[in-house]
Amino acid sequence: MGGNGPVLEAVGLRKRFGDLEAVRGVGFTIDPGETYGLLGPNGAGKTTTISMVSGLLEKDAGEVTIAGLPVTTTALEPKRLVGLVPQEVAIYPDLTARENLRFFGRLYEMTGKALAQRIDEVLAVIGLSDRADDRAKDFSGGMKRRLNIGIGLLHRPALLILDEPTVGVDPQSRNAILESIEELSAEGMAVLYTTHYMEEAERLCDRVGIIDQGEIRAEGTRRQLVESIGEQDRLRIEASGPLREVSARLGELPGVTGTSAGDGVVEVLADDGGAILSPALALLAAAGVAVSSVTIEEPDLEAVFLHLTGKALRD
Amino acid sequence: MKVLAIVAAALRRFVRERSNVFFVFILPLGIILLIGVQFGGEFRPTVGVHLAPGAGPVGTEVVRILGATDEVQVRAYDTEAELVDAVELGGLAAGVTVPGDLEATLAAGGAGEVGFVARPDGTGPQLAVVVQEAVAAATDTIAAARAAVELGVDPAAALELADSVEDAVPEIIVTTTTTGEELFAGVEGRFDTGAAGQLVLFTFLTGLAGSADLIQSRTLGVTRRIMGTPTSVGTIVTGEAMGRFAVVFAQALYILVATLLLFRVDWGDPVAAAAILVTFSAVGAGAAMLMGALFRNDAQAGSVGIMAGIGLAGIGGAMLPLELFSPTMQTVARFTPHAWALDAFAETVRRDGIVVDILPQLGVLAAFAVVLIAVASWRMRIVVTRA
Ligand SMILES: Nc1ncnc2c1ncn2[C@@H]1O[C@H](COP(=O)(O)OP(=O)(O)OP(=O)(O)O)[C@@H](O)[C@H]1O
Ligand SMILES: [Mg+2]
Repeated sequence: MGGNGPVLEAVGLRKRFGDLEAVRGVGFTIDPGETYGLLGPNGAGKTTTISMVSGLLEKDAGEVTIAGLPVTTTALEPKRLVGLVPQEVAIYPDLTARENLRFFGRLYEMTGKALAQRIDEVLAVIGLSDRADDRAKDFSGGMKRRLNIGIGLLHRPALLILDEPTVGVDPQSRNAILESIEELSAEGMAVLYTTHYMEEAERLCDRVGIIDQGEIRAEGTRRQLVESIGEQDRLRIEASGPLREVSARLGELPGVTGTSAGDGVVEVLADDGGAILSPALALLAAAGVAVSSVTIEEPDLEAVFLHLTGKALRD
Repeated sequence: MKVLAIVAAALRRFVRERSNVFFVFILPLGIILLIGVQFGGEFRPTVGVHLAPGAGPVGTEVVRILGATDEVQVRAYDTEAELVDAVELGGLAAGVTVPGDLEATLAAGGAGEVGFVARPDGTGPQLAVVVQEAVAAATDTIAAARAAVELGVDPAAALELADSVEDAVPEIIVTTTTTGEELFAGVEGRFDTGAAGQLVLFTFLTGLAGSADLIQSRTLGVTRRIMGTPTSVGTIVTGEAMGRFAVVFAQALYILVATLLLFRVDWGDPVAAAAILVTFSAVGAGAAMLMGALFRNDAQAGSVGIMAGIGLAGIGGAMLPLELFSPTMQTVARFTPHAWALDAFAETVRRDGIVVDILPQLGVLAAFAVVLIAVASWRMRIVVTRA
């Protein structure tokens, strides 16, 4: 690696698919040992960004360097430094876990004993040691995902790129995956992690970029991001009824900066939670919504997202 | 190294595919066995012969030669109608009618015609080839005899002389010793018929049907993931091409070796056989790659591959001998690699040819392979980078 500069530097990335500009000037840097999260909803441009960063997709504009090496679709040097875990499970179903790992290990230029030993290590990390010689097609969805991640870890990359790696994984396996990423990061690996799970971003990432409609809307540590939206309160209202309509009307109350309606929950972001409480409840009652609980909480990344975009992460 | 990893993965996936165990390893041998059992050995089919009065020495000679082959039994019929009935009712595998004017036609320098009757099913087509060979041999003998007559030899003596001349040609007898118990004892030659046809049919078929694997790699996102590793597009395309070749060649080699060991099929000169296998497999690999690059849906490619594989084999003479095709269809057959491979096998197996004798056929197969692989590689490069 090129000294102590950033592992990844992306500047002004753009990508257009027909009429849709999926990525509109995205840039960020990641230092060695740092975990950077791209947090955004479906269609925000996370995968498109990652594809350009890892040299899978031609960029319309912008520059990417990994350890100072310019990334293009044909440059092999930077690809040696990257471990990529794609959003879709990309493994050969007819091959066993071990054979899949060996295949990709050889493409990452590992051979012989070193490879065999590393495969055993990775199998232990992803918790598949006892299923190593079973075919991947007989695995559960979560086990396939873990193998998908294992392939990215094999060659101890300087930069590990994970694209929503935990979708469809049970909480226990998810925890195991997050733990292993934390360990690798502690060993000095840089990580680029995309997710639309706020909890994962909060737990794993040193810094988070909030991405929506192809743009990074804000970037920083969790603390910085939360502080950036000012002294705001988050009203979490558990209720049943026509929540979506009511959430729009709540947004018109003075002092409210954002609202969202989810499954049995309405969230309201306001300058002063206490002041908004009684008009909000009155409005809900008038609309025929039955409220079961109300809490006023500290804002989190979800609230930041709501504040920045006026919508919820998981719509 | 990386190329080998891609080749190994292709072979492994091919072997793992459950349906391949049947279609690749069992079915080809089964069909060759079936044709052999129907056709050869103790189950020698009976061919009826009707010699019209005046058929002359050519007719007699055809009957004699047919009777002398160990491929068929001969039974004489007094009328053509009886013969045809017997064929129709299944008592005879086929019938041969020698017309009364044959001798006169030949003497006048015309082209004689010998009739052949068979049901559309069964071993008729293979038998037709046997009869054609017998007629050709008879014509040679008669021609030699006639030449002798012109030199003043008595006709009966001339025929004897012509026969004895053939017999007098020194023969080298190869004594083969085998040890151990044979699964199908005493089967030499019995399964030769159709083995080459089945080999080219299944080799190409397996190649085309296997193109689905290439498409699956793309739809699964594995190809894209490979692009994320430090592996150049050239290496990927080379690896996939060699992987296809390995799969196709493995199928061809398996059929050749298995039929050689189990059924003692004669594949002719080993070097020539290897040359045919390699060039034909390269054609199959190129075709498979091209299909893999052109199709987007693996199930679709699989079924089109099977149809194309069987269709091309049929046109190319893998199911019915090319000799039985009309002149037009024989010309059409030349556009399939199958016909050239079968032609090469006919040369090496039936006429004891060696590599130099089949250079034209090998050249055409190589040309097929080069064109297909070149076009397929170009398409693959595009498709892989888009994946
Ligand atoms: N190959 C493509 N052709 C056309 N449009 C595309 C293509 N890839 C992505 N898009 C569009 O670009 C936008 C961004 O897609 P992208 O996959 O980057 O989103 P994402 O943030 O990864 O979403 P998700 O969380 O659902 O994975 C979407 O509107 C998508 O439809
Ligand atoms: Mg995505």
